[in-house]
Formats: sequence, structure tokens, C-alpha cells
Amino acid sequence: MNRFEKKDDDENEFPFESLDKGQVIQEKRVFNENQINARKCSFVISEFLYLLSRGDTFTNTEATDVYFAATKLFQSKDIPLRRLTYLLLKEFSTIMSQEMSLIATSSLVKDMSHKIELYRANSIRVLCKIIDNQLLSQVERHIKQCIVDKDPHVSSAALVSSIHLLKVSPDTVKRWANEVQESISNKSNMVQYHALALLHRIKQHDRLAVTKLVSAMIRSSLRSPYAQCYLIKCAVEVIEETGTQDRAFYDYIESCLRNRNEMVSYEAARAICSLKNSSLKELTSAVGTLQLFLSSSKPTLRFAAVRTLNKLAQVNPIAVVPCNLDMENLITDNNRSIATLAITTLLKIGNESNVERLIKQISNFLDDINDEFKIVVVESITALSIKFPKKYKQLIIFLNKILRDEGSLQLKQSTLDAILSVVNHIPESKEIALNELCDFIEDCEYSELSVQILHLLGQEGPHTPSPSKYIRYIYNRISLDSGTIRAAAVTSMAKFGLLNEQMKHKVELLIQRCLFDEDDEVRDRATLYLRLFKENNEKLLSQLLLEDLPAPAINIQRSLEQYLESGRAATEAFNIDNVSTVVETSPILSSGKASATSTPKAGAISLASSSSAAGDSTPKGKEAGETYAIKLSNIPQFAAYGKLLKSSEIIELTETETEYVVSCVKHMFAGYIVFQFTVKNTLEDQLLENVFVKMEPNVRIKFETYLPIDKLAFNDPADCYVALRIQDSTPLINFNNILRFRVREIDPSTGEADSSSYDEQYNIEEIALVPRDYIIRGQPAPKFLEEWKELPEDIQSIQRFSLNIKSIDEAVKEIVRTLGMAPCEKSEVVPPKANKHILYMSGRSVANNNMLVLARARMMIDQSGQNIDVEFAVKSEDEDFNAFVATESF
Amino acid sequence: MELTLVGLQGSGKTTLVNVFSNGSFTTDMIPTIGFNMKKVTKGNVTIKLWDIGGQPRFRGMWERYCRGVNAILYVVDAADPEKFEQSKQALHDLINKPPLSKIPLLVVGNKNDLESAATVEEIAQFLDLASINDREVCCYSISAKNSVNIDKTLDWLIKHSSTVKN
Repeated sequence: MNRFEKKDDDENEFPFESLDKGQVIQEKRVFNENQINARKCSFVISEFLYLLSRGDTFTNTEATDVYFAATKLFQSKDIPLRRLTYLLLKEFSTIMSQEMSLIATSSLVKDMSHKIELYRANSIRVLCKIIDNQLLSQVERHIKQCIVDKDPHVSSAALVSSIHLLKVSPDTVKRWANEVQESISNKSNMVQYHALALLHRIKQHDRLAVTKLVSAMIRSSLRSPYAQCYLIKCAVEVIEETGTQDRAFYDYIESCLRNRNEMVSYEAARAICSLKNSSLKELTSAVGTLQLFLSSSKPTLRFAAVRTLNKLAQVNPIAVVPCNLDMENLITDNNRSIATLAITTLLKIGNESNVERLIKQISNFLDDINDEFKIVVVESITALSIKFPKKYKQLIIFLNKILRDEGSLQLKQSTLDAILSVVNHIPESKEIALNELCDFIEDCEYSELSVQILHLLGQEGPHTPSPSKYIRYIYNRISLDSGTIRAAAVTSMAKFGLLNEQMKHKVELLIQRCLFDEDDEVRDRATLYLRLFKENNEKLLSQLLLEDLPAPAINIQRSLEQYLESGRAATEAFNIDNVSTVVETSPILSSGKASATSTPKAGAISLASSSSAAGDSTPKGKEAGETYAIKLSNIPQFAAYGKLLKSSEIIELTETETEYVVSCVKHMFAGYIVFQFTVKNTLEDQLLENVFVKMEPNVRIKFETYLPIDKLAFNDPADCYVALRIQDSTPLINFNNILRFRVREIDPSTGEADSSSYDEQYNIEEIALVPRDYIIRGQPAPKFLEEWKELPEDIQSIQRFSLNIKSIDEAVKEIVRTLGMAPCEKSEVVPPKANKHILYMSGRSVANNNMLVLARARMMIDQSGQNIDVEFAVKSEDEDFNAFVATESF
Repeated sequence: MELTLVGLQGSGKTTLVNVFSNGSFTTDMIPTIGFNMKKVTKGNVTIKLWDIGGQPRFRGMWERYCRGVNAILYVVDAADPEKFEQSKQALHDLINKPPLSKIPLLVVGNKNDLESAATVEEIAQFLDLASINDREVCCYSISAKNSVNIDKTLDWLIKHSSTVKN
């Protein structure tokens, strides 16, 4: 303990701050001393518990040693020490093997009938963590005794432990029903609650028994508020599961609305709001209760109430209307969460007739709230505009006001996104939106936004009835703004020239004036476009101006940076075909947002990019900033494989707490697969050499290359690789994997490696090649339905099967996950309560030159309501590939 | 002093501990799941007794409770010859563990009140005690039920309470 003496006084506030695990493990020897020093031992246990709470991990062996040492402390009669001992045993028993942890059983069982309550209550909490099925039946009489113990702490502990023990042996715990029933009438609130919870769980799988239990309990007079809340939840469950028409359950819940305890009456109100078949009267009184809470002095109650109302507003906006006034008051609530919920609720319950009034109201307090908050408002407004398309005018004007007021870039970006989303959904709004935006760029402080708006003008303007009026705004930029914006303006004008034959000549004249611009980029663009106009090369123009970049912008940016660093720039040209098209993380975006944002950087690249939803593509962990593609292309053996087409997610091949931690990523190239194994050595006393993964396939294949790790030091992960040649085939292979290596022991005192070494191997999990590996997710096909029609019908492949999933939403997620394709036409969004749905997906194949692959899944919940029938169709130009995806994926 | 009782299940370890501590013999016993700890005071010596379960699942853990004790007390059911081979194996597996070298060993053949019980000599032979030569080894024939040789056992144990720990 000398290390504390060294410290300064002011550091003593945190005595455990610089605690070291190894040192604490050494200190556990005080548990073994002949005369137990309770104070010292308690201190060391606290240290262990602190380490655990700090997130330090213990290996199985370490945990076992600590656990056994701690069992020696049962000889001490010191009560505080015993309490800490229980905590330590409880925590460490879960890290080690259960079989070994059983050693404490006898001592714990003895404590369960000890005269000190603290012993009885806490020993049982440890016991439920370690005991197994067979031993449980041997000690059950002790547990039954504790359940009916007259001390509430003991009884509660026994009941809660029994809930855990249901996982060990449901049959044994069921035999205690009588004792549990008895403790329901215990005076303690907590015991009553725990007893009810246990009883409910015992009967959980028997619907009839639950119904009987709940109807019996609602007639009894439970006094514990906790138990009452639980019973309300049970009643909801019964109503939902059985669809009972028995009003007794509804009546009980309704009666709880008038309970004096706020928690109970809130719970009842929440239950009524969540039930589908609540009567109007019940709903009115529930909303009435919540309304009272809205003006409560307790923030928790206000929050709970407004949140519940918010949820209710989604399905039944009219029911919430009476609270309008109270919620308007909450808009200025100090608690931001409450205020946000109030606003979004108000917007949800707004109807066609009062939208305008509402917007006016919001405009009034807009100046009082901060930006973060305004973003929430903007998002709600966007949702509202889609709901009431006729009101687009007011909404656009409102959004535009936010855009023009003072505000952060983030706010403005969200607002612009919102406007773009409105434009996408309501074509009629296009003109007014464009006009407003034209005004906005006349005085816009963020060049990122100007660039995006210029891009939008170029895209949409030429298709409007009077395109020429936009040219003036765009050309104004050229005389007034910075280089980046001027460049974007040139591109925007060129689009008008390309898309509108009549304007072509005028546009050429205007672009000509930019030839002497002081900015390189502006001059370059102007020269390029002019030349192409002169040559009438519409093909290249439309490729440059209208098509997406061939790869995600972020990948192009990285490749370019690498190209410049490598010094190859002087000798060879940059080849965009070598850029990986892998979208590294592919978040499933919820709604129209994906189409709206284009990264500011993309605008600066001379190929004018339309919105490429590169998303936030930060690779995880240590790989940050260094993409797979760059990493692999730097390995000579793989350089010839060409462009990386796809990388799988990271597959863990070991538990994270094992001696050697191994994970794998499958990289697909045209004709090759590279398995990248990341290996971490967690043993301080070992240096591993020549580490590689021996893959044993279930079919005969030839491996191309093995790249081992030469030396693998403690805690310094490295990669080894295996490459496989597949040519144009799409084999589905399972591999058994063994990690092989030579071990060199390291002397812990000197840190030097031993001169001798020995071979060792370590089994790790299997890897399989699945159809998903041969499909690239890519960007969603923009016009799925058209493309689907174009692909030949006669070679499509159709498969029918059933998924054991209850909701359409889950099924959609499962199918998208299994295929790894990109959902199209927003078909990944399932309307609530749908019982059928069609999901469209697009992808590209790894083989066959990135051939487009489309898939359609029609889903329907079957009659039992337990499964979903799926008709799954795949289309591409390759009949075999269609059949492969359709039959092998599920 | 501190000592550890081990031996196969049902050999009578827990019963013996009870006899040591309060002289009472009980027949109504349940298998020890894990271990029991008991302190017994005899004269001016306090003995800490670690009584470890004898079921196969616990045998691997005996060693952890034998490290650093003054003596190991190995209990054998003298009336169950079928288990002698198993008992010998378990005993030798245990004492061959390096951390336990030199710890004195007392083997007791319990249940000598039963007619079929083996004698001291037979037990010593069956358990191959002669091969153990790195420590002090002793063997008694006792009966926890009739309190035969319990005093003798305690005397031996107390005599070794002064043994210097390794």
C-alpha cells in the first residue's frame, strides 16, 4: 500500500485512480493469511470491485484464483467483510467456469439460514448466480424458507433470485408457487412487487394461467404501488395476447387512473393510450390524467406525460387535442427534452386547418430557442409537409425564414435538406422553393450551402416553365462570390445549356466571360464546357454534368490523396477505374434524407457530383483513416488482383476474452477472395512467430497465397492473409479454421524472449462463403421499377419460403441483412401494422463485370400470425446467377 | 493451526469434523457441495478445519485448499474396498502436486466399527503409502461413530501444529 504514500494530498480524493490490476491481484494474498485482517481484506475487495466497474477485464484463470482466494474469507465473522465477499463472489463467478464456482455452494447455503439477515439476503443473491439445475433441487428447501422469511430484505432477495433461477430450472422454481403466493400478502411494498413478478413469470408460458392470475389479482387489493404498476402491465399483456372482450381488465386499469400514487396513475394512463381497443371514455380520462401531469412541478412527470402524448399523437392525434394549450406552455419549458417533445407533438396533432396557425405560433417563439432545437422543429415541419402536401407554400416560406435568420451551418444544412425533401415529395413546390432559394443565395454566408443550391438549380431549373429567370441569379454568383461558388455556378449554367436547346447559345456567351476568371477551377470548367458545346459532344457533357460519380466521393478523394503522395503523378495518369466502389459503412437511412445531402468536397471535384450518399464512412477501430483498399493494394501479392470490389463486415472468430483474439474480413476481387485475419495476442509472457490461419475447406480447392505474421507481440494486433482463386465461379464453401504459430516464452522479469520455441495451435470458429459475399451493395438503383421491367422476365428466378418472424418490419431487416443489397424506392420503410409488403433491392455482382442484380421480395403474414410467407424473385442478365441468389440465400 | 480434510465422497469427512468439534455423531448427512469451514479449539490450540467435498467435480479443487496448511487429513471408507483403487489414485494425484510437497499426511481408515472394515496395514498397503517418502505419513484406523482413535488422531494433529510451514 506504499503507493498511496507517494501521492500528493490533493490526489487522495481518488485513492483508486491509478489502480493497477496486476498489483491488486498480488494483494489478494491477504485473503490467505492465517489471521484474517478484515479491514485490509475489505479494502482489497473494494479495489477489485472498482477495477470491474472501471471496465478492466480478468481472464478465466485470474478470476478463478481471485474467487478461490475469496472463499477463504468465509472463516471471518466480520459482517462488512462478508458483505463485500458476497459481492466479489457474485461478480467473479460470471467470469470463470460455473463448475468451479460451485465450490462456494455449501458455505452459501449455510449462510442462507444464518441468524444475521444480511447473510441470508445476500448469500442467496450469490447462490442464484452459480448454482446448476441438479444442485438446485438439493437446496430448494432453503430457498423456499427464504421466500417466506419475515424479513422483507431476505424475502425480496429470494424472490428476485428465483426470477434468475427460472433460467436455470423453470420446473424447480414452479414448485415454489405456494410460497410465492404467500409472500404476495407480505406487508412490504417491495416484496409484494417481487412476488407478483415472479408468479407472473412462473406462469408466463401458459396464457390461461396468466389470465387467471391477473383476474384474481385485480380483485384482490394490492397495496404496493410497484406491484400495481406491474399488474397494469400484466393486464395490458392479457388484453393484447388474448384479445379478450372482458371489460374487467379495462375497468381495473381505468380505476388505477384515480390512484393517489402518481406512478400508478401514470402507468394506467400509459397503458390505456397504448391499447388499441380503449374506449373513448377511457382514453379521455387517460388523456385528462396526463394533462394534469403536464402542469406538474416535477419534470419527470411532465416528461413522462408529454412523451406518452407524443406517442398517442402518432396513432390518434384527435385524442391529444384537449392538451393543446398545456403543451403550448411547455414549449418554453426549461427542460429541453420536454419542450422538444411538446413541439413535435403539437406538430403531429396539427390538422390541415390549423397548420398555418401552428406555424405562426412556432415562428413567434423561434427566436427564443437555440439551433439544436430548431433542427427538431425543422424535422417535424418536414414530416408535416408530407402529410399535408397542400400546405407546402406556408411550410417552404417558414423553412426559408429559418434559412435566412442567423444560425449555425448545421441548422442551415438541416433546413436546406428539409426543403430539398419537400421538393422531392411535392413536385408543385418546386418552383416556389427554387425562387426562395435563389433569393437566399444572394446573401448566403456558407459557401457549402450555395454550392448545393447551385447544384439543385442546375438540376431542376431547366425543367421549369421559365428557366431563364434562374440564369440571372446564377450569373450573379459569378460576379459576386468566391471561387468555389463561381465554379459551381459555371457547372450549373452548363446544365441549362445542355438541357435547354434554346438557352444553349446564351449560356455559351455567359460561360465565355468566365474564361479569364482568376480562379483555376472556374477557368478550367469554363474552357472544358465551352469546348464540348462547340463540338456538340452531348454524350460527354451529360456524362460529366448529369451522371453520378462512378465511385463514392470519399473513396475517390482518398485515392487521389494517395496518388499525390505516391509521387506517381508525374509519370502516370490517375485512373478512376482503380477506385474502390465499396461503400464502407452502409447505414440504412430512414427517409428522404439520403438523396438530399451532397458532401461539400464533392462539389470541388471537377466532375460535378450529384448527391452521392457516401454517408459517414469512418472505418471502425484501428483501421480508421486507412481503408482496406489502400491496405491491400500495398501488399505486393495482392496488388495484381485489381480493384477491391467488396469487403465483408468483421466476423469474430473467438470470444473477446480468450488468449488469442481472431477476427476475419472477406475481401472480394474479380476472380479472387482474400481472407484478412486480424490476430491479437493477449498473453504477456508469449511472443508468437509465423502466425497463420490454416483453413480447411469442405471441398477440394487450391489456395493461392498464405501470408503469415512474422512476429506477434503482446497486445499488438497484426494481420495475416489467405488468398483463394475463384475465377468467375461463386463457390459456397465452409472452412474449419485453426490458428497455427510458434510460441517463444518471455521471461517476465527481463522481458527477453526465450531461445527455444515450440509449435502450438488454437481452434477458432468456422467461416462460410455465402451468396451475400458475391453481391456488392452499392448505391440503390434510382429507378428500380423501370429497370426491373427492362430485365428479361423469362430468366428470373423465383423462390417461395416462409420466415419464422412475426412482423414485416423485422422480416424486411432480416432479408436486407441476409442479402446485403441496397433497398430501393424507400421500400425498406414498412407502414405500421402492415400485414403485407413488397421490398425492392438492388446490388451488383462481384463476378460478371459488376452486373446489375435486382431482387423483389413480396411478404405476407400467414394465417397463424407467427410466420411470414415470402415470394422472392431475382433478376439479372445471368440466369445461373439469378438461381444462385434465389436458392442459396435463405 | 490449519488443516484440510479430503477423501472420496461418503468417506465421512464432514461427520468427522462434527465429532472433532462437539463430539456428536450424526447419521443424517448430505453431501458437501463445495466446502465447510470449522474452527475447533482443543486445549490451547485452535484448529481451522477445511472440509472439502469429495465428489469428482471438486477433486480438482482440493489442491487449492491444501496449499500451506499444517497437515492434510485424508479420510478413507475402510469398509468399502471397491473404492480403494479410486481412493489411492485421488490421494497420489493430490500429494504429487509440487506446492504440497513436505506437508505431513495423516490417512485415517474411517468406519472401523463395520465388520468388513480393512485394517490399518491393509489400508496402508492398498493406498501404497510406503511409496510416499517426501514427508511424514501416518495411518490410523478410526470410527467416528464410536469415537475410536479420535483422541489419537487429534493428538497427532496437534503435535504437527508446530510444524514450520513451507
